[in-house]
Amino acid sequence: MFLQFLFISSAVLTVSCALGVLMVKNIMHSCVFLLGSLMGIAGLYATLGADFVAITQIMVYVGGVVILMLFAVMLTGGNDFVSRAQNLLGLPASMGNKWTYAIGLLVGVVFLLTNIQLIRGLTKALPVKTITNEFPSTVTQIGHLLVKDHVLAFEMSSVLLLGALVGAAIIARPRKQN
Amino acid sequence: MNQTVVSYLSQYEFYDFLLALFRSNQGVLAFTLYLLLALIIVGMCATIGGLGTYAERKISADLQARIGPNRVGPYGLLQMLADGVKMMTKEDIMPFTADKKLFYLAPLLCLTGVFATLAVLPFSSGFIMADLNVGIFYLVAISSLVGLGVFLGGYASNSKWSMLGGMRGASQIISYEIPVTISILAIVLLAGGMGFGTIVGRQGGLPHEWFMFHNPFAFIAFFVYSVGALAETNRAPFDLPEAESELVSGYHTEYTGMRFGFFALAEYIEVFVVCGVAASLFLGGYNVPGIKLDILPMQAAQFVIFMTKTLVLYYVVIWIRWTLPRLRVDQLMSVCWKYLTPIAIFNLMGCAIWMVVFNGKSIAELVLGSH
Repeated sequence: MFLQFLFISSAVLTVSCALGVLMVKNIMHSCVFLLGSLMGIAGLYATLGADFVAITQIMVYVGGVVILMLFAVMLTGGNDFVSRAQNLLGLPASMGNKWTYAIGLLVGVVFLLTNIQLIRGLTKALPVKTITNEFPSTVTQIGHLLVKDHVLAFEMSSVLLLGALVGAAIIARPRKQN
Repeated sequence: MNQTVVSYLSQYEFYDFLLALFRSNQGVLAFTLYLLLALIIVGMCATIGGLGTYAERKISADLQARIGPNRVGPYGLLQMLADGVKMMTKEDIMPFTADKKLFYLAPLLCLTGVFATLAVLPFSSGFIMADLNVGIFYLVAISSLVGLGVFLGGYASNSKWSMLGGMRGASQIISYEIPVTISILAIVLLAGGMGFGTIVGRQGGLPHEWFMFHNPFAFIAFFVYSVGALAETNRAPFDLPEAESELVSGYHTEYTGMRFGFFALAEYIEVFVVCGVAASLFLGGYNVPGIKLDILPMQAAQFVIFMTKTLVLYYVVIWIRWTLPRLRVDQLMSVCWKYLTPIAIFNLMGCAIWMVVFNGKSIAELVLGSH
């Protein structure tokens, strides 16, 4: 019952905040709604028993990405940049014209149909069984997977991050005057 | 599996009695117990936060050869109640151009972030709300809500001082999270787990069994953690977000009454949490020296030990505040990125190499012979 409560509250939080991101006009409020949505996704992970992933979601998105977004929005004008122009549907003009909406709708329909097909296949094929796990916790399991099965991807992503770090340092470095 | 306070209590006989009282409804009983204990912990920590303001003034008075608050109650102990009543009855002023919703949200985010960390703080081996497998990681992650609250508080006030304070606060908290997290990671490496139960369980009650004295790198990591934690909680000498001499009061300049009280309370409780984490990661946590029993009175002894260590660290934090001058912004950033972060990474690698070379033995075990 508790899991159901957790799932329903997380799902409601995720979806309602995601709608809030789209609906509000103030971009700072959008960022805060995004925060709620991401917290909801963390809750969904926790419902699935993926505690490490849930905490990583909070760590990376709430602690990093949302704060970074707020910084970027504020440094580039923040609340003053409110689009007043509207299109036919009453939405801000910057969100697109009728062609982009049409393409978006088409993509959405295709995506929905594909997903329905996938989920139907899954629910039929999935046998109900208890998962036996030889690891004491998900953290140990993720650790084993990262340094055994997926060590190449792990190392490659670390090199990528190092590259990003060096790039940021080079961009931020004061240029020499000559 | 994740241990919780309820699963701990369920091994005693009175749990069966309670279960009979709740007509064998496990879920409702667990929920009630969690609610009750959460209220106890939040109430206790809010009181500690309130007493923190009293301790701050009293200790600063001692350091400056003054008397400090002594009018309300014996030794001025009820000063915090007087302050609380004052804050409750003050007018709730909001700047006309403030972003109203975010203005309301910001202090709540701060308080939520701090109270959420209390869920994993190990007061004793049984009295820990949830001993998650990812305990310390959860604590680091959820406390980033405080940074967000500081930032939004600064932004939503729509005033220059608040804005500058909020931006300083957010950048400072994000920056110092890195050396702090890497120092914690070194301890996770020594303990072999991220749960507080695991980390504290691997240490002993006596100083030579603490992780702080496990190896030289962990010893340095303690100081890196302490400095970083001071900065993360916006305490002097790193209280730039609220630097009175430059920014009036920083991110909470425009807040009045209890909303300001929320920010202040969040800060004092966060200092307590940070001290508690330092005590349990580096100073042996709740381990009682010499005795290893699993009976209920033992929990009280463990609680006293934990609180003693934490409050001693709390005293040191206040002591530092009234001793050292404030840093400049550029000094603050260079301390973090040019000194603390490289030292923390060095410590992490040092700990890893130590674990491999000496097979996970501490200095004391190497010197005294392993047991």
